[in-house]
Amino acid sequence: MTTYEFQARPDNATPWAVRSFRTTAILAIASIIPALLSYFIGSAFALPGAVTLLVVFLPIQIVAGVFATGITKGAHRIADSVLAIGISFAVFLVAILLGSLLFSVIKNGIGTLTTPFLTQNNVYISSTTSMEYGGAAHAVLGSVLIVGLTTIVTVPLGIAVAVFLTETDSKLTGLVRFITQSMSGLPSIVSGLFVYAAFVLTGIADQAGWLGALALMFLMLPTVSRMAEEVLKLVPGDIRNAALALGAPRRAAFMQVILPAARTGIITATLLGLARVIGETAPLIVTTIPGNETNANLFFGPISTLPTYIYKFVSDISETSQHRAWGAALELLIIVGILFAAARILGKQKVK
Amino acid sequence: MSDNLTRVDLKAAKIRREDRVFFGIARTAAMFSLATVLLIFVYLAYRSQNTFRTQGFSFITGSTWDSNVGTYQLAPMLIGSLVIALIALVIAIPSSIAVAYFIEFMAPLRVKKIATTIVDLLAAMPSIIIGLWGMYVFSPAAEGWAKLLNKHLSFIPIFENTTGNFLRSPFIGGWILAIMMIPIITSVSREVMSRVDKELINAATALGANEFATARRVIVPTAKGGILGGILLGLGRGIGETIAILYTLNLIFEINILHPLENKGGAVASLIAARFGEAPDDEISALLAAGVVLFLLTLIVNMIASGIVQRAEKRMAS
Repeated sequence: MTTYEFQARPDNATPWAVRSFRTTAILAIASIIPALLSYFIGSAFALPGAVTLLVVFLPIQIVAGVFATGITKGAHRIADSVLAIGISFAVFLVAILLGSLLFSVIKNGIGTLTTPFLTQNNVYISSTTSMEYGGAAHAVLGSVLIVGLTTIVTVPLGIAVAVFLTETDSKLTGLVRFITQSMSGLPSIVSGLFVYAAFVLTGIADQAGWLGALALMFLMLPTVSRMAEEVLKLVPGDIRNAALALGAPRRAAFMQVILPAARTGIITATLLGLARVIGETAPLIVTTIPGNETNANLFFGPISTLPTYIYKFVSDISETSQHRAWGAALELLIIVGILFAAARILGKQKVK
Repeated sequence: MSDNLTRVDLKAAKIRREDRVFFGIARTAAMFSLATVLLIFVYLAYRSQNTFRTQGFSFITGSTWDSNVGTYQLAPMLIGSLVIALIALVIAIPSSIAVAYFIEFMAPLRVKKIATTIVDLLAAMPSIIIGLWGMYVFSPAAEGWAKLLNKHLSFIPIFENTTGNFLRSPFIGGWILAIMMIPIITSVSREVMSRVDKELINAATALGANEFATARRVIVPTAKGGILGGILLGLGRGIGETIAILYTLNLIFEINILHPLENKGGAVASLIAARFGEAPDDEISALLAAGVVLFLLTLIVNMIASGIVQRAEKRMAS
């Protein structure tokens, strides 16, 4: 075998990456001229911005790009410039749309996040009450309680199902996997309507927090059990076999060896599942009654959550109601963002 | 499927008592989930059969929904759901693939990392927030676009609008769905594109292919299966979308396929949310039947999607 002695790369090692002044100048001209030209055409004919971008700017930019690339890099590269311009343009439009979404929530919500809004509930608040009174604290509490109950039930259940799927030789594993996965197609409103029809309309129970948690459970279980199964499968079989070879019972091997090894994966999966479930609105408007009072009782009475709080205020056109809706939307977005960031940070940690 | 796990034989005689309890719990949980899901299926079928029996085939084909006379026919909502899903796909597919390609192959490393995170976060965006934004920020803007299309292109029949009202149209509903789908499709497509063998791309470049040819002949064909799976996953989520559509679309019991700019649309999921509160018992049954139809639709889409994704993953792994 030959060994190579590596040296620092000479400056001219990648001649294709060196850009001459002429190339830079032509590319710069090819980006400035279309922008200026379409600006003047747009203002001369008083065209709306969207039309100018799509009908004037894009074709001019493509033509300019084709010429510039043809001159600097040869005819072979012309298709590349069309591809690059088309893709950049599409990305620009998507970025504007999604950026507007994030920006609107932050801009409209930030002014609402005052101390009363974060700490008070909605009792005695009408659509004309000033923003100095009333808030969504009861909705945050309700969201945390309902989603908490869902998580406490769903995660152990999902992990137990995953144990059944990965560690036993039962003939039913295929059926259990198939049926629980088919639940992932259950539209959230149908889950809520099922609980409503089966419990509320039959008189078994009144609309209350735990019914909301039940409806959310049906939505969360397929995700958690599938992710838990995949995470458990990633644990090397050797670790498991080593524990068993030492005489550990299956339970101890699972609880003390496999589960700790899969812990970060399971927590990440739980957090991502939580981030999705906490924003679910449709099942909750069917199964709970959004109340104004702070209610920590999941089994009785109206209970408000952030999504149903927003739902309640959106349709009201008074200005303060809209402020409240945007404020709660920002709170919800922040909660989702925190869950998401936590999942990211944990997911990056390597299993020790 | 073969995996290297040593599985326990539950019927074996030599099994410790604590393991018996441990696997007993696991088995109970599995059977509980199985029973719950089957219970939902059975209950939905049981409660909706009344509607399927009294309405017959016209539940799917007719277009009257009136609780006073007890006639429940879903066609406008069902077709409306498909129309907005189609509009959403037309918008979302090219933009998602473009964004995924940009993030994976064009963006500098730092932009790539940030963009990946933002796209994944947007895929988890609560639909009520999209609905709120769609109602107050996006709808007025999209109304302007719709008016422009109508003004300049109304000689094409699909851009006609005889109602004079451009808000809450399938055009706007389709855009809203597209905005929900784009992060999902982008996320999956980017993931698949990142797994295209770099050697293949380098080989294409070495053979003298330009970037366009590499994208068209190497990257897209290799990632095709995964991208299609992502599209179907997005579609599955879009069909079941309730609240954002409720805010941005008029639900009218009149079949409207060819005039997406008019304020007449439909969506099965949103109908359920709009009607359940004041529905008499037979209408609840009809709404549950609508739910069954919707469930079957998403189930089929999801199954095709997961089948395609699995096959694509297998092919890319080999």
